[in-house]
Amino acid sequence: MAFGGYPPARHFLSDLGMEAEVTSETTASVRIRATPHVTGPGGSVRAGVLATLVDVVGGSAALRALHPDWMATADLTLQVVQPVVGPWVEARATVLRRGRTTLVVEALVFNLDEDGADLVDPDGRAAPVAWASMTFAVLPGRDSTPVRDLSEELPVRWAMTGAGLDQPVTEVLGITVVDAADGVVSLPVAEYLRNSFGAVQGGVMATIGEVAATAMLGGPDGPDGEPVVVTDLQVAYLALGRVGPIVSRSKRLAGDGPAGGSVVVELVDQGADDRLTTVVNARAVPVGSMAAGHP
Amino acid sequence: MSDLDQSRPDPALDQSALERRHAVGAYFRLERWEIPAVPDGGPFPTIGGRAPLDRHQRGAGGGLRTGALLTSIDSLGGLLCGLSVQPEWIVTTSLMATVARLSQVGPLRFHGRVLRRGRSAVVAALDVVDEGAADQAVASAVLTCAVLDPGDMDLRFARPAIVPMPPPDPDPLAPEEFFRIEPGTGPVTRLELADHLRNPWGILHGGAVAMLADVASCRAVSSQRDHAHGAVAAADTVLHYLRPIKVGPVEARCRVLGGSTGRTVVRVAIHDVGNDDRLATVGTVTVLDV
Repeated sequence: MAFGGYPPARHFLSDLGMEAEVTSETTASVRIRATPHVTGPGGSVRAGVLATLVDVVGGSAALRALHPDWMATADLTLQVVQPVVGPWVEARATVLRRGRTTLVVEALVFNLDEDGADLVDPDGRAAPVAWASMTFAVLPGRDSTPVRDLSEELPVRWAMTGAGLDQPVTEVLGITVVDAADGVVSLPVAEYLRNSFGAVQGGVMATIGEVAATAMLGGPDGPDGEPVVVTDLQVAYLALGRVGPIVSRSKRLAGDGPAGGSVVVELVDQGADDRLTTVVNARAVPVGSMAAGHP
Repeated sequence: MSDLDQSRPDPALDQSALERRHAVGAYFRLERWEIPAVPDGGPFPTIGGRAPLDRHQRGAGGGLRTGALLTSIDSLGGLLCGLSVQPEWIVTTSLMATVARLSQVGPLRFHGRVLRRGRSAVVAALDVVDEGAADQAVASAVLTCAVLDPGDMDLRFARPAIVPMPPPDPDPLAPEEFFRIEPGTGPVTRLELADHLRNPWGILHGGAVAMLADVASCRAVSSQRDHAHGAVAAADTVLHYLRPIKVGPVEARCRVLGGSTGRTVVRVAIHDVGNDDRLATVGTVTVLDV
């Protein structure tokens, strides 16, 4: 969130160039540009970047419902159902339930044209290109809670504008593939990617999981020798990753569905006694099958 | 009926509640065994489980129907989380499952462990291997439960909790019949809230919700296609249990979102029609061509 001085100007979220709008007491939208630096093989925005986008839009939609409390993402899921190609990509979130201890948000992602209008199919309908859900743990408000500068009037708009990405997002983040066949990747913890709790931002964790699964299933040295793209993420956030490096342990499941496959990735904080921070279940499909269009 | 208390019969226990507690697990012949916490292994027990692959529970993919698999995951994960927070108890709030292989040979073996015990929630991971295929890993799930005061619910268990595999039913019901899922086609599928589908809280069992999501999403995809397209089966599933289902009938309303070759993602919204049509569960099911 762009509150209480977070994120700083030199930050991953700022460099994604997010433009946010809180549209009602329980809804929000956030958009980014689908630049070549955030897309993967096949030209669709990477699942990890989309996870970052929906995490921010989910938090934005929850802001008013939560007041005066704060939140931490407990789980996040994402399913990509069409190529996410932009030129703008917008996530729209709605709070489904605000309970005493948790808050659940659903989000849909759309491709927008250069002017910000929905791209429509031949029938004139704007179809979502991805679906997402999140559970946030409600944290009682404290003095240290970031100050929210939310005006009483709606909509409220803000932008996180940084210098932009000058190289592919995984390189900017500093994710290194240590062993592709075993799905081992590593990420040092830097200020650039910390969240308001001082830990690695949740979307970045999802991106590490995405990179590990992609490497294992179909990276250049992968066992199947065919490029794949992650379409589905199920992420459980268990503990904050503060020290680093964050290192993945991956296990491939035996599949019999469409080509591609499923991988379970555990992310541990190596500098904090290998503490398990995050579990990511990922499903990937060959790049060509995504572009084929469906249904 | 098979239940955790067979090894310790107690006439004071409320038998109707016990039957409710175990009717769904018994239908799937789910064997369960608690593995007590070991020194240096963390404060929580783990749990093992085994489910046979009876013919009437096989889906179009050849193996256990995903709704049935998720029911076992919910039962085992719920028991593990509950045992880990006693004297409090739990209710499932979300289930995220990746089902990579639909043509399992069986039986399936489960192992569950607590990933996190928070102030008001407990998170468990469950891994599923196919014993009939050299213990291949075929599915993995994360289950999140809210910790609640059980009130008057009877939660006495012999520890470690062990439930042997119930014997096969000579004349078993199909899952649609057991779960009272009405026949039909199209994007809306209904379930009648029968008493044996209620969990110990008196609300619709999370596994029944998962089975309804499985059936409804497959019907929604099939109804958009001609018969030449072949069969489909549910796989990866996300369910957020937002509110308890108390009244019924229960309606699953599906929206086919799209996908990729051989993979269709369906959004499922489950409403408690008799309770002001309240939205009770939201999620997605990934339906695969088989």
